[in-house]
Order: sequence, then C-alpha cells, then structure tokens
Amino acid sequence: MEKIEEAVARYAEDFALFDDPNDKLEYIFDLGKKHTTLPEELKNDSTFIVGCASPAWLTGECKDGRLILNGEGTSEMAKGMIMLLMDIFSNKTAKEILAFNPEDLSKMGIVELLSPVRQQSLQSFLEKVYKYAKECDS
Amino acid sequence: MSNKVLTIKDLKVKIGDKEILKGLNLELEEGKVHVIMGPNGAGKSTLSKTIVGHYDVEVTGGDITYKGNSIIEAEPEDRALEGIFMSFQHPVEIPGVNNTYFLRTAVNARRTHLGQEELNAAEFLKKMRVLIEELGMKNELISRSLNEGFSGGEKKRNEILQMMMLEPEVIILDEIDSGLDIDALRDVSEGINKMKDGKRSFLVITHYSRILDYIKPDYIHVLKDGQIVDTAGPELVEQLEKEGYAQYEEK
Repeated sequence: MEKIEEAVARYAEDFALFDDPNDKLEYIFDLGKKHTTLPEELKNDSTFIVGCASPAWLTGECKDGRLILNGEGTSEMAKGMIMLLMDIFSNKTAKEILAFNPEDLSKMGIVELLSPVRQQSLQSFLEKVYKYAKECDS
Repeated sequence: MSNKVLTIKDLKVKIGDKEILKGLNLELEEGKVHVIMGPNGAGKSTLSKTIVGHYDVEVTGGDITYKGNSIIEAEPEDRALEGIFMSFQHPVEIPGVNNTYFLRTAVNARRTHLGQEELNAAEFLKKMRVLIEELGMKNELISRSLNEGFSGGEKKRNEILQMMMLEPEVIILDEIDSGLDIDALRDVSEGINKMKDGKRSFLVITHYSRILDYIKPDYIHVLKDGQIVDTAGPELVEQLEKEGYAQYEEK
C-alpha cells in the first residue's frame, strides 16, 4: 500500500511535468473530472468544511484503524483538490495520517501557487481530515 | 488467409470535374505494409484523401469497407474515431491552437469512443515526452501552436507523434518522406516501425524507394491513371527504380 509520502512524491513528479503554473492548476481541474457527489443525507453541518471558499463536504469513516474519506466540492478547483487530497489521505491508517506533517504537502510544488483564499480552503480541509483521524485513532 | 481490414472496390472519384480514380481496387491486409507507387498525377493523394473522407473528393462509384462496414458515407471524424489515420503530405499550420491541447483532445476523443478512460494532463504529458525524445523533437514544439513556424522535418515528425499518440489501426502515410533529411527520415521511419504490431495496417504512399530501406514493405502496388495496375512483393521496387513506369503503358 502506498504511503502518504510516496503519494505526495508521485504528485510532485506529476506537477513537475508542467513548466507553466497555469498548466499545473489545469491538472488539478483535470483530477476533478473523476469527482463524484455525496448522498444528500451526508451533506450536513458535521461534514461541511467550514472555511472553504466554496461549499464542500467531507465524510470520514473509520474502518479497522483506516480512515476512508469521501468528499464533494462545488467549484472546479475544490473538486480537483478534493480528489487529489483524498487520493493522498484516504484509506490510510489514522496513525499514519497523524504522523504526517501537512507542511510536507508543499513538496508537491502547488501549494504556493494557490491564492490565499484557496490556501485557507486547503487548511480547512486538512483540519477536517486530522479531526477524523484523531477520532479514528482514539 | 489473412484478414482484410480495408477493402476498396471499383472506386471512382472526381475532384472538381476531373475523374481521378477510375475503378480502383485494393485490399489492405491486417498487420501488413502496403506501398503505393506511381507517376505524378496517377491519383495517389486522391486515394488517401478518399479513404479518410476529405471534402475535396466526390465519390461517383464503388465502395470502401473498413472492418466489414462501408465507410463511404461516414464523416471524416467518425472514420478517425474508428482508427483510420492519415498523415498529411503538407501538414497545415493552425495558429492559436496549442499543439499539446490539440493532440490531447484528439487522443481523449478516441479513448472515449473506445470506452477507455481519458488520459489526464500528467498521464498524457508523460506518454508524449517519451515519444518526443524518441522522435528527436524539440520539447518547445509541443507548447507552440500546431505546426506554426515548424520546419518541414518538424511538421512530419509532428505527424508521426500524432500517429503514435492516437494508436490508430489503419495508417495512411502520404509522402511522409518528402522533404526529409536523412536524420529526420530515420527518426520518422523508426517511429513508424515501432507502430508495427502485427495488427496495424499501413498504406505508404511514396515517390522514392529510399524510405523502403527503413520500412520493409509486404506489398507494392503501382497506381497509374486512377487504377492499380500491378501488385507484387518488395522485389518490384528495384524493377521500378530501373525501368520506371513505362512498362505499364501497354497494359
């Protein structure tokens, strides 16, 4: 099973393929094409990502110590970022998530390209992931 | 008996008022390299244009079947989606259309048609970068407008890049060797040879035998005055080089 660091390195390699920052962002939009929606009953206050630039929800299910994430975003950017981050964090053990330093996501070479509002959205998303991870680990 | 992937029967074609193809018959076998040679004005380019459904041509008789179905009425884009590819003798320049976006759109249209998942930007670029290196193309060409300001050799390499990315099943190369220096001819030929997989069929239209030093043909067809007048094995090339097309005058 791929480790979080390995997934981050894989995306770093992907993003390095593009010379133009706009192409890097477009790749995020591209990842969003596989985005699926959540059932309406799962979109509630407890799954809502507070602080995200556009409405977004994230569910976290704990299965044998592993955190299964499912999310829905409403903007192209959010859809892409959610797919990217779920690919990195979902189906990992809560312990592995908690041991990972989210600052290391900057190794992908895209965090600094995001606008302040989108960086805040990323932060909000990560807070939600770590909250679920802590609940799963306890 | 080998499979016929493309069958052309009694094909009659006009361009403007002039009848160019006059009852042409030809069968392409699966996995084989067919070469068409013939004097200027015999109808070689018209034949390739007719197979892909170019708007210049008016079919007045006969039929073309691809994998058992007639394609004579099919739109060019549908023929392309089904796997028929043609490299142009003179590739057009399209300012404002980015080479990479153009090719990715085409590749993903074909993948969708085949029920495959689209390639995302990174997957596409990884695949393309490998081929660009193999073809000896400059990296910057892929981010420029389609063929705009490309040299003759770069345009032909770009055609081959498109072919390799699209992975077609019938490949028509209309004078791919014209205007190429030795290095470009070798790179282009290597690209074509890599596509040979025992399934794909090739129709190579050429004036010169030098490309056939690199791409080994299975059949040579002589096209003269709108008809195939001779079909033989590769040995025919040498004879044509020596004797020209005069031997077909009486036939």
